[in-house]
Order: sequence, then C-alpha cells, then structure tokens
Amino acid sequence: MASTVISQGITIEGELTADEDVLIQGTLKGKLVTKDAVSVESGAVVEADIAASSLSVGGQIRGNVTAKDRVDLMPGGRLIGDVKASRLTIADGASFKGNVDMDV
Amino acid sequence: MADVTVVGSGIFLRGSIQGEGDLEIRGRVEGEITVAGEVTIADGALVKADVTGRRITVRGAVAGNLTGEEAVRLEGGARVVGDVRAAAIGIADGALLRGNVQTEKPAAAQRTTVRAAGARLERPAPRVEARKAAAGNGASRRGQAAEERPAPPPPVVPALKKGTRAALRKRAR
Repeated sequence: MASTVISQGITIEGELTADEDVLIQGTLKGKLVTKDAVSVESGAVVEADIAASSLSVGGQIRGNVTAKDRVDLMPGGRLIGDVKASRLTIADGASFKGNVDMDV
Repeated sequence: MADVTVVGSGIFLRGSIQGEGDLEIRGRVEGEITVAGEVTIADGALVKADVTGRRITVRGAVAGNLTGEEAVRLEGGARVVGDVRAAAIGIADGALLRGNVQTEKPAAAQRTTVRAAGARLERPAPRVEARKAAAGNGASRRGQAAEERPAPPPPVVPALKKGTRAALRKRAR
C-alpha cells in the first residue's frame, strides 16, 4: 500500500512534493516530484510533469517524465511527453508519443 | 480502502484537492480542499487551506476555515485557527481553536457567530449556551477572560469631521 494515494474521483491541482511513493488512480494536474516510486494506475489521468525514482504507467499521462531509475509503460498505458530515464520498458498495448533520453 | 485518498506524511502539496470520495491528510497541504466525502486531518498534518467536506475530523493543525456539511470534530491535539461551520460541531478536550464557531447547516447559515478565542472547551460544547456555561464554571483562566469579555466594539469613527456639525448649524441659521 502506497503511503500516498490519489484515489478515483479526486482531482489534485498544483505542485506535489513528496519523499515517498505515490499511487495515482484519480486526476493530477500540475507537477509531481518524489524521491520514491510513482504508479499511475489504469483509469488515472495525469496532466503533469513527473520526477520520480521510478514510474509505472497504466493510465494516461500528458507531460514530461524524469525517472532516476526506470519507467515502465504497462499494457493500456498512454504517455504523451518526453521520457528521461536510465531504463524504459514499453509493453505491448501501450501507447507512447514523445522523445526518449536514456543517457547512452 | 480503495477510494480513500491519502496524502502521506512525506508530502507537501501546494494547490487544490477536490472531488468525490474520502480524504486523509497526514502531510502538508497549502491551498484548498473541497471533497464530497469525509476529511480526516491526522495528527502531525499541517494544512493551510479552507477545508470543505461532509464530515471533517481534525487531529492535526489547520490554518483555514472548516466547513462540514454534516459535522466537524476537533479531537484532542487538534490546533485550528479559522472559522468552523457545520450542522454539528464537536470539540474534544485538548483541542485548541481560535476563530468563529457556527453550528448551523452551512446553507442556512446566519451570522450568529461566537468568538471563541483561546478557548479550551469540554465536549459537547458546540452550542452557545453550553459554551457560556462552561466558561462560567471552571474553564481555564485565560479562556474565561476571553469568554467574559464581549467582542470588542467596532472602532468609533466620527461620521463628520470635528466642527462640521457646528458649521452646518451656523449655515442653517
């Protein structure tokens, strides 16, 4: 259980700064910065730039994504924006539009 | 607890939270909170926002107005600076409140507020009469002083400048 949950039906607008993992099932607009993992679940809508240690995308994200560790695009996940991460996986059935920067 | 939104203790949020469902805040929030469900502001939380919900339970610190459609409960350890308005208000022993209290449904609200500066109140004391009684017998000295003293009268500002009335009278003659 993530320590911070944005559940379905809830909309958060603004700047969210955290040093713990964040689970998003609802709507987030603005900016999200955390030192831990972020999970955007199926049904979630994120219109925000995200910086995290790792990110898993099952829902919809529109915004640039920076992950220190990894970004995982799950089946059904939808990401429009640039990705900067050391590892990126895109599962079959995920949609993605944007640039990838993996410090080659 | 699928539909409970939790803002954890390591969170700092600047912005607004709104929507359906319940909300629990353990971290810091600055902005505005408007949800349809229950709001719990946990011990250690720091909220600088107006909070609106069906039921609001406070154990942490809030700077802002609390509006509960059904109820607002200030538990022991709660620190609230702001106005509290709900159909039912409970203030537990050990809760601190500075602001106006209004125990009416927010929709049918009238301006019959009571000043409760620095009051430490025994629960149940949401009603005005009960509050006055509590202040009368055995509230803390500071609280009593604050309760006994009526709200300061509005500052007296002369409607006319000094001497204007005399001048007018002279002119009328």
